[in-house]
Amino acid sequence: MAASPELVIEPQDRVLVITRVLDAPRALVFKVWSQPEHLVRWWGPQGFTLPDCTLEFHPGGAFRCLMRSPEGSEHRMHGVYKDIVEPEKISFSWTWIDAEGQPGHETLVTVLLEEAGEGGAKTKLTLHQALFESVTARDAHNGGWTGSFERLAAYVARL
Amino acid sequence: MQTDSLSQTFAALADPTRRAILARLTQGEATVGELAEPFDMSLPAVSKHLKVLERAGLVSRGREAQWRPCRLEAGPLEAANDWLEVYRRFWEQSLDRLESYLDELQMKGKPHGRKS
Repeated sequence: MAASPELVIEPQDRVLVITRVLDAPRALVFKVWSQPEHLVRWWGPQGFTLPDCTLEFHPGGAFRCLMRSPEGSEHRMHGVYKDIVEPEKISFSWTWIDAEGQPGHETLVTVLLEEAGEGGAKTKLTLHQALFESVTARDAHNGGWTGSFERLAAYVARL
Repeated sequence: MQTDSLSQTFAALADPTRRAILARLTQGEATVGELAEPFDMSLPAVSKHLKVLERAGLVSRGREAQWRPCRLEAGPLEAANDWLEVYRRFWEQSLDRLESYLDELQMKGKPHGRKS
């Protein structure tokens, strides 16, 4: 029987990881994440708008936004800022609220900003979205068992 | 009120032991004893995890009274994966827009700025 404990792929089950190098200094990138008047200009897929967005931009503060699709359907989202380190880190919980006002599955988003390019003219942005709350704390006790979601995802991809 | 099935899938997946059990089952059917083997865990403890996975529709059990081999059911995993894809698209497109917006902000007062 093949034993499983070679499941280590990443130190944590960071399911979604996206990296981008942005042609702007880090302070500016941090600003457009932290102020609603900037956030509403870009947050959401192409064609979506944020007609209503309030941020309490401090650890423990909530954000609530209404997102409208190009077809006019509306989606409410809600979250709480967990950790904010200007100008390098923002993490927040994030969940969609359904039509009955019930929150869906909560995920944890972490945005890291690093200076890049000559004289810090650019910014490397790394976004992690963890599917499971407190996954780090739980998995820290379980060393070799982490990374199994990646393996499951790979399995599903082969179907 | 009924818990939606995706939440149930994620609740089941939120435990690293259960994810490891599922990962083992990607290699084929296994009995509770075989599943317990790599873990420092009692059979009842593993059975408890299996019950959660069964309720979420991620695992089914054979009929044979003694063996009852466990089998991975891919349906809910596919749904979870699709959900992840939605998030990936969400962020990729948001970051595309962020790039354009940053260009726009920095172009103010610069006649020869880039446009994407």
